[in-house]
Amino acid sequence: MNILAVILAGGKGERLYPLTRDRAKPGVPFAANYRIIDFTLSNCANSGLRKIVLLTQYKSFSLDRHIQRGWSFFSHQMGEYVQIVPAQQRVSEDWYQGTADAVYQNIYILEQERPDLTLILSGDHVYRMDYRSLTAFHLKSGADLTIGAIPMPKETSTQFGVMVVDKDFRVIGFQEKPKDPATIPGSPDQILASMGIYVFNTKKLVMRLTQDAKLSESSHDFGKNVVPSMIERDRVFAFPFVDEKTKRASYWRDVGTIEAYWDAHMNLISNNPEFSLFDRSWPIYTYEPPLAPAHIISAGIPGEGIRNSIVSGGTQIVGARVDDSVIGRNVRILEGSEISQCIIMDDVQINRNVRLKRTIIDKRVVIPESMVVGHNSANDAAHFDTSPTGIVVIPKLMRFE
Amino acid sequence: MARILIVDDDENISALYEEDLREENYEVAVASNGKESIEMLKTFMPDIIIMDIRMPEMDGIEALGKIIAMHKNIPIILNSAYSSYKDDFRSWGADAYVVKSSDTGVLKEKIKEILGRAGREK
Repeated sequence: MNILAVILAGGKGERLYPLTRDRAKPGVPFAANYRIIDFTLSNCANSGLRKIVLLTQYKSFSLDRHIQRGWSFFSHQMGEYVQIVPAQQRVSEDWYQGTADAVYQNIYILEQERPDLTLILSGDHVYRMDYRSLTAFHLKSGADLTIGAIPMPKETSTQFGVMVVDKDFRVIGFQEKPKDPATIPGSPDQILASMGIYVFNTKKLVMRLTQDAKLSESSHDFGKNVVPSMIERDRVFAFPFVDEKTKRASYWRDVGTIEAYWDAHMNLISNNPEFSLFDRSWPIYTYEPPLAPAHIISAGIPGEGIRNSIVSGGTQIVGARVDDSVIGRNVRILEGSEISQCIIMDDVQINRNVRLKRTIIDKRVVIPESMVVGHNSANDAAHFDTSPTGIVVIPKLMRFE
Repeated sequence: MARILIVDDDENISALYEEDLREENYEVAVASNGKESIEMLKTFMPDIIIMDIRMPEMDGIEALGKIIAMHKNIPIILNSAYSSYKDDFRSWGADAYVVKSSDTGVLKEKIKEILGRAGREK
């Protein structure tokens, strides 16, 4: 069975601004060592899918560089590849109009590869999924299209595309962000939300994309147009993404806002995280630069030390206090500083006696001595981008006088 | 009178089509490759396009994609001496695929059928 994975990696991630000021959403760093895209790519690699096309569009330089550095271990000689495909205006002179248009404009890749199945994935999500279960379900159901679906509490329906299914999980209806949603048969408190993950029989995909391309009223989007148009005329199924043992929804996050991004990190460093980075049966691959191990040095300062935190390689922490934080690579935190509930990305220097709380610092920022952030919301809002609950984001390369 | 754009780099073929289609009372224009056909659409808006595939400068498959992106409603018949492109995913946007033959009967039937469907029969 020849399967091609097509990852949509053009997301602007506007609600993650300023983390997306210089990079597309899949290129945003996550969990200290990784980029968001690494989770979907690792799912592919661990699922034995080694033919991967990454469709990029906006601000893709940072993402391109990461893929070249971190994902060049696939063997072209063995027919494996992660191929970055920038928007090329091969067909139309416009940018991609929607997710379906992004694939339609690259139909020549499907023609070259002629896969039996095409797996369409989003590069924006953090989760761990064996796509082999999804494709096996697809084949067993005799489906033309199978949609990855996650059970969610009924109250969240206005955030999702909700699928109406029969007892065999054949999709018989689709509701876009409904107030009064259909629930899962047998689970009146839960809805089946689309994860934006699709397995198509390739020929059916080409046929439906080609038809959609000719509809002037279409916004050429899988979720809005192509999928709803297929429900009546094709065999469309939903694959519930649940833990096989507990039957409960597996971990899946669209870290689309600063709040969601920060929450996901706080969950990672909690005592019993929902998503563990320590699962050796499902490694998350990324670019690993050659760095020394992290080094924590005492300066005899009362209260110094580290608790409930992740600390990456190349980092030195000297006589500082770090609580509930995620610290990236090559970070220096100096004497007397106190860091709490923060996300500090690579190559940041925090000078002496700095106090930071609920602050995200993007790469290559130098925090001057005695600066205080996250302790006075009025002051924070006057100087920085802050989220609705007051999380401060200091953008990449920000300079202080 | 329905308007037809013939796109073919072989002058003999275009001349043959032009003559046969004029006899059927169509208004006919000719372009000699994909690029020229796209240029021509700025001044001549046809009701249907007959598009060869193998042509210099821009082939018919590329032109097909570009024309669909700009003018979603113009029906296009791919018309090649080879049947092998029929299976090519990029050709599926065409409204019909007719293999070339010295007898233009099949092509003329297809044109009538598609124009009839679109409600543009002369």
